[in-house]
Amino acid sequence: MSFVKELTKGIIKENPIFVIVLGMCPTLATSTSVNNAIGMGMAATFVLVCSNIFISLIKNITPDKIRIPVYVVVIASFVSIVDMSMAAYVPALHKSLGLFIPLIVVNCIILGRAEAFANKNNVLNSIADGVGMGLGFTLALTVVATIREILGNGTWLNIKVMPNTYDPMLITLLAPGAFITLGFLMALMNMLKEKK
Amino acid sequence: MKMFIQLGFILLAFCIVATALLAYVNTLTKPKIEALKIKETQEARANLIPDSEFEEVAGDLTYYIAKDKASGEIKGYTFTAAKNGYNGAVKTMAAVDKDFKLMAINVIQQTETPGLGTNSTQPKFTDQFKGKSSEQLIVDKDGGVPPNAIKALTGATITTRAVVNSLKETIEQLKASVQSAPEIAVNPEKEVQP
Repeated sequence: MSFVKELTKGIIKENPIFVIVLGMCPTLATSTSVNNAIGMGMAATFVLVCSNIFISLIKNITPDKIRIPVYVVVIASFVSIVDMSMAAYVPALHKSLGLFIPLIVVNCIILGRAEAFANKNNVLNSIADGVGMGLGFTLALTVVATIREILGNGTWLNIKVMPNTYDPMLITLLAPGAFITLGFLMALMNMLKEKK
Repeated sequence: MKMFIQLGFILLAFCIVATALLAYVNTLTKPKIEALKIKETQEARANLIPDSEFEEVAGDLTYYIAKDKASGEIKGYTFTAAKNGYNGAVKTMAAVDKDFKLMAINVIQQTETPGLGTNSTQPKFTDQFKGKSSEQLIVDKDGGVPPNAIKALTGATITTRAVVNSLKETIEQLKASVQSAPEIAVNPEKEVQP
């Protein structure tokens, strides 16, 4: 029961972007196209699940006072290992996702979930939390990217969706556009929540 | 006091394990990554000037002379140019013909902003370099007049400048190198004036 609850809470109820407001830097940077958003979401989900498993495993041998530096060491090494292995063994995948991997290190969702969840819960629940949060992150990124790509470039997943006469609103592709889009989406989320 | 020393050592232990792991993975993957990179550059070069054999000329600027596979005639030169963009070096591989006019370019390495600077790898951007001489390499925002200027990428003028200026400088350098080494690069129809 709790496994399912941990799995689904990240998608809407505790969505990392719209509700917890974590990981803003990669959100702003990679939500310019749906392609990038999905790539970033998948890569972050993978690292999040793995780091959650690992941190949950070592939670008993980590002294409380130095847990944050330990998490940083674990996450950074883990991301580097993933980066190097991908470059060596799956170069095609690395070519499309490689760009996002250094960004994952600074993604505070991963540190946030390690601190808030994985160090207090068992491995199974930590996996569920990682998958749920990762999916929520991917979903939120895709929604933001959909709006930005359609308005800013007239395309969705590189397919033209707007008529040729549409003049792209370039500002949505730049940083201010990301903030504006995010603000509207958060307001919408809060509105829906209050209605309930 | 004792506790702090103890904590320090625990953190040190974590770091040693992490470093050892990283070093191990690095020794496993490094040769593979390097081999892939070399293969990739060879392929990139072959794509720029097809049906050619490449002859390396090492020096201040390492460049490759592209000779036609069948006739052995010099078709042009390829080289890599690099300059710092918005977020680290932007490396471009380019080919010029015998008159040092760009034939094709290919941005082979960049870590620019996803969605903005990364568009520098798209054909829509790179195609506009075709046929440009080094004098024509000016970003439109720096006073260039289209159609001769290079149209800057939206939200990534710095990336555009890095590509354009690195190419401009390297073509100038290439001209000087080719002309100072006429015994290899000389073209029978077009004698280089001393």
